Amino acid sequence: MIPILLDGVVQGLQLALLAVGITMIYGLGGILHLAHGQVAVIAGMTAALLMGAGLRPLLASALGVLTAGLFSVAMDLTLLQPAYRYRGEERLLLGLVLTLGLAFLVDGFLTFRYPEVALTLRLRTPSVVVAGVTVRTASIAVSALALAAFAALAAFLVGTWLGRAVRSLMQNEVGAALCGIDADRTRTFIVGLSGLLAGLAGVAQGLFSSLGPEMGTELTILALIVAVVGGVRSLTGTFTAGLLLGVVNTFASYLVGTYITLIFLLWVALVAILVRPQGLLAYWT
Amino acid sequence: MTPDRPRVQVLSLLASGVVLAVAPWVLGGGQYVFRITTVMLTYATYAVAFNLIFGHTKQLFLCVGALAGSSAYLSVVLVRDLGWPPLLTVGLGILFAAVLGGFLSYVAVRRGLGVIFVGIVTLAVSLMFQNLLLGLRRYTNGETGIVTQGLGIGLGRYPVASYYAFLGLLLLALVVYARLMASPAGLAFRALSGDELAAELAGVDVTRYKVLAATVGSGLMGLTGALFADYNGFINPSIFSLAHVDIVVLIVLILGGMRTLMGPVVGAGAFTVIDHLVRPFGQVTVLVYGAFLIILFLAFRDGLVPALRRAARLPVP
Repeated sequence: MIPILLDGVVQGLQLALLAVGITMIYGLGGILHLAHGQVAVIAGMTAALLMGAGLRPLLASALGVLTAGLFSVAMDLTLLQPAYRYRGEERLLLGLVLTLGLAFLVDGFLTFRYPEVALTLRLRTPSVVVAGVTVRTASIAVSALALAAFAALAAFLVGTWLGRAVRSLMQNEVGAALCGIDADRTRTFIVGLSGLLAGLAGVAQGLFSSLGPEMGTELTILALIVAVVGGVRSLTGTFTAGLLLGVVNTFASYLVGTYITLIFLLWVALVAILVRPQGLLAYWT
Repeated sequence: MTPDRPRVQVLSLLASGVVLAVAPWVLGGGQYVFRITTVMLTYATYAVAFNLIFGHTKQLFLCVGALAGSSAYLSVVLVRDLGWPPLLTVGLGILFAAVLGGFLSYVAVRRGLGVIFVGIVTLAVSLMFQNLLLGLRRYTNGETGIVTQGLGIGLGRYPVASYYAFLGLLLLALVVYARLMASPAGLAFRALSGDELAAELAGVDVTRYKVLAATVGSGLMGLTGALFADYNGFINPSIFSLAHVDIVVLIVLILGGMRTLMGPVVGAGAFTVIDHLVRPFGQVTVLVYGAFLIILFLAFRDGLVPALRRAARLPVP
C-alpha cells in the first residue's frame, strides 16, 4: 500500500505543477488554457529529440523546459493577446476555442511528425531504501523538483514586486491597471512562467515513466480536473487538489482500472463545478 | 428583400435542395463521391442543431459527438442484445439524446454557469462517454467497435438512396429551424443571443428557451447519429470523438456563418472541399482542423453567408 501512496503523492505533485499554470492563466485573464498538457509534451519531445542528437540528458531536459516556456510566450503574443482585447464572455469563449485549436494543432503535428519518439530518462541508481521502504530515485527527484518549483513560485508571488502585481491583477483587472500595472506584459510573463512549470512536469513524466507525443490531451484533462477541483483562481487549492487527486488516481487505477478512474475523476470535477464553482478546496486563499 | 423574409427562405431551401440533389451526379456519381457527400450532409445537419444551441442560445455544447454517439450506440445495442425493432430503438436513442441535452442545459442554467463552465461540463461529459465506451467492453466491444449491418433499417446497403435520405433529413432540420425561428421562440432566441439579462428583464423565460433549444438540437443530433450508425455499417468510439465530430461541427458552423439558415449548408460544403484537398498530404487532418479553428476564430468569425450578403448583395438567409 505504501508504495502506491508514494506513487500517488509524486503523481499529485506533478499534476499540481501542471495545473498551477492553468490556474494562474485563468486567474489573470479568464482564459482556460486547453493546450497546457501539450506544452508539457513539447518540453518532453524536445528533450527526447535533443538526447537523440547526442546531448546529455540534463542539458537536453533544461533546453526542453526552456522551449516550452518560449512556446508559451509565442502563444501568448499571437493567440491570447487578440483574445484579451475582448471583455466578458466573448473573451472566455475566444480563449477557450483558440487554445482548443492549438491543442489539436500540436497533437496533430507531433503524432504525425514524430510518432515513434518518446522521452524516457533513467537515473543511475534506480532505487534506494528509506526506513525499510524501497523508493525509486526518480520519485524522489520528481518530488524534489516539484517542491522546489512550488517554493520558488510562492516566494516570487509573495516577495517580489512583480509577484504582487500578478496577484493584484488576479484580484481586479481594472484596479491593477489604475495602479499602473501593465496587464499585457504581466500576462505574457506569467504565461511564459506557466510554460516553464508545464515543461518541468513533462520532463518529470519522462523521469517517472515515459512521455509520448499522444499524451498531451490526457495531461491537459488531468490538470484541468485538478485546477477545477482546486478552484480555478486559488493556488493553494490547486496544490492541495493535485496531491489529493494524484493519490486518488493512483489508488483507483490500481483497484478499478484506468477507464473507470477517469470517469470517477470527471464526476468529481463536475460535482465541483456544480456545487462550488469557486472550487471545493478554495478555503485557504 | 431582407434575408429572413419567408419567401427568400423558401427559395433558398428549394435552391439548396436542388443543388444538393444533383451535386453527387455532377461530381461523377461513384460510390466514393456518394460516401463523401453523405458525410457532408451529416455534418451540415449536426451544424444546424449546433447552431440552435450555440449560435442562438450561447450554450457551448462540446458534446455533439457524445450526444450523437450515445443515440447511435443505444439504438444498435438494443437491437443486437434485446432484439427490439430498429425503428423503436432509434426513437429511444433520439429520446435519450434529447433528454440528456435538455438536462445538461437545465442544470447549467439553474446553476448560472457561464459559457466557460458549460464548455468544461460538456467536455467532461464527452470524455466520460468515450471512457464508458472503452470501459463497458461487454456491450460496446471497446475500441474494436460494432458492425451495425443487419441491426438497423438497412441504409448501408443503398448508398444512393441513403444520400437522399440524409438530404431529406437535412432539409427537415432546416425547415424545423426556420419554423422555430419564425415562432415566438425564435424571437426569444434572438433576444437571448443579444443580451441575456436584457432578455430576461423584457420577460423572456431564459431557462425555458435555453432548455428548449438544447432539447430540440440534441434530439436532432441523436437522430443524425443513429442514422449514420446504420448507414456507416460500423461504429467505434473514434467515429464520435471530439476530434471527428465536435471540432468539425464547430468549424463548419463558424465557416458558414453562425445564426444563419444557410450557414451550416455552405460551411459543410466548403469544409468538405478543403478537407478533400488536404487528404493527399497524409495523416494531418487533426493538425489542419486545429489550424482551421484558430484561423477562423482569429480572422473570419463572421462566416461565409454574411460575407456573401455583403460582397454579392444577395439576401442569403
